[in-house]
Amino acid sequence: MRKSLSTAMLVAAGAVVGFSLAATRTPSQAQASRISRASDGHPNLSGIWQAMNSAHWDLEDHAARQGPLIALGGAYSVPQGVGVVDGGTIPYRPEALAKKKENYARSVALLTRAAKEETGPRIAMEDYHVFDPEIPCYLPGVPRATYMPYPFQIVQSPETVLISYEYDNASRIVRMNSKEEAPTDSWMGWSRGRWEGETLVIDVTALREETWFDRAGNFHSDALHVVERYTPIDNDHLNYEATIEDPRVFTRPWKISMPLYRRVESLAQLGEYLCVEFASELLYAQYSKQEGK
Amino acid sequence: MSNRFSDCAVVVAAVVAVVWLTSPPAAGQAPPAPAAGCPGESAQFHPCALAKAKTFGPPRTPDDEPDMQGFWRGPGLSATENIEEHPSTPDGDDIGGASLIANTPDGKVPYQPWAVAQRRENRERYIEPNILCFLSGVPRTMYMPTVIQILQPPGYVVALLEGGHRYRIIPTDGRVHLGESLKLWNGDSRGRWEGNTLVVDVTNQNARPWFDQAANFYTDTAHMVERFTLIDPDTIHYEVAIEDPNVYTRPWKITFPLRRVTEKGYEFIEDACHEGERDGPMLRSLGYKPYPGVRPGSPR
Repeated sequence: MRKSLSTAMLVAAGAVVGFSLAATRTPSQAQASRISRASDGHPNLSGIWQAMNSAHWDLEDHAARQGPLIALGGAYSVPQGVGVVDGGTIPYRPEALAKKKENYARSVALLTRAAKEETGPRIAMEDYHVFDPEIPCYLPGVPRATYMPYPFQIVQSPETVLISYEYDNASRIVRMNSKEEAPTDSWMGWSRGRWEGETLVIDVTALREETWFDRAGNFHSDALHVVERYTPIDNDHLNYEATIEDPRVFTRPWKISMPLYRRVESLAQLGEYLCVEFASELLYAQYSKQEGK
Repeated sequence: MSNRFSDCAVVVAAVVAVVWLTSPPAAGQAPPAPAAGCPGESAQFHPCALAKAKTFGPPRTPDDEPDMQGFWRGPGLSATENIEEHPSTPDGDDIGGASLIANTPDGKVPYQPWAVAQRRENRERYIEPNILCFLSGVPRTMYMPTVIQILQPPGYVVALLEGGHRYRIIPTDGRVHLGESLKLWNGDSRGRWEGNTLVVDVTNQNARPWFDQAANFYTDTAHMVERFTLIDPDTIHYEVAIEDPNVYTRPWKITFPLRRVTEKGYEFIEDACHEGERDGPMLRSLGYKPYPGVRPGSPR
């Protein structure tokens, strides 16, 4: 038998029980859906969420443009998007800006060459580092995991918040109210969380340098420090902000922000986007023993 | 020739016959340790555990479910080597171990004849799917040699694995399965409580994972039913019933204890798998291919 925790909380507090957590919404509920509460009184962010923008293509303002593979034509080119960066432009140091442009150009050139090779795509393992790490399907890091075009699920408890992503079966545990330092660098970083009023603040350190912010070549070093803020707007929308700090690459900290939308289908569930299997041929086919040789 | 690589492969010397650079294994395999006062070996553990379940009253969550939350360890490395009884190997590649199978007379998978031949072909032609960091599927995910964390938020049971950052999010709200044409690596899981037992019905298998490194396999008509029951404060009886009329002569069960991790302050560190995987090129150059799954019938 499923009980509603927040309903129990409201009864315990002597409040009138007035709403349900059912995902099907009536017009009167749609107007001002009350934010559901966890057992400790904080907003309950548990559920399935997804960004809806083209930040995963490019964090900055971008008009529609040709995608990285001419052969895919109009099917996989880049849509227009208003940038999610506060102030518009990412404040790169001059030498870092050159590297950002080179990142994208080299990735495109390598992919274009691979697509033309008669025997199929051949990317040498020593060339992986010039790619957008999304292509070999490496873990996306933070904040990119948030705005990849796939849903993720938050499972919230007072001691830990789990965030599991459909993309690449990625997953990270946020240690609440922890002062513990990261034992090592990792792809998804070391996350420590706390509540500030209605906002879940997550401090992310110890991120590996290999991840990119988007498909446009925006990058960082291993000095990256990210502070995320998840604030409910109403029960089905969060305001997501991430402050990016990396003095080796940027002249100052900068911030991105975007809404996150709850997946309100009553039977919403994370799918599988294994990703790794789709990169297998790209990474390994060139090593295959040739038949009959 | 069998594949002799363990899960989440590490970089080893690039020689054709790759061996584990470990200390020599103990002669013979040790039987599994007892759990909750029951013998550890699966065929004996199973009935003993079921009897204990009848009299144990587990602690309960605020939602009045038996509280299985915490960190748990399964049967260890030998299970992922081979779910059937198997010896240790002189090169240290297999540590060896007892069968995980609870209810066949010989502790072996009850294959139809075509499937015995298929298993041999699997070993000879295909790369063990875990080596390429594909999902281990159900039930293999539950006996991977790593630590499992169970969470019970409202409406779900969540199983997290440290190894390979895997997760299973199992709804317990009574929703129906996905449409049957959606085939998934981990299948589609639906949980419900029957008394003190979490029952998980698993369908929609794409059958691309193996049961183990020995290429024990199923097809996409497989149907698994898992049962999780606390039999003492630190032991879960785990059972999975496996049915695939295209492959086996009868349904059969894997069972083992999940034992609570008692180290204080245990927590997960990221284990990235694919990002460090380097065995793919070598295996491909030896002629092995990714496992595509099989259709019942004669080996291809």
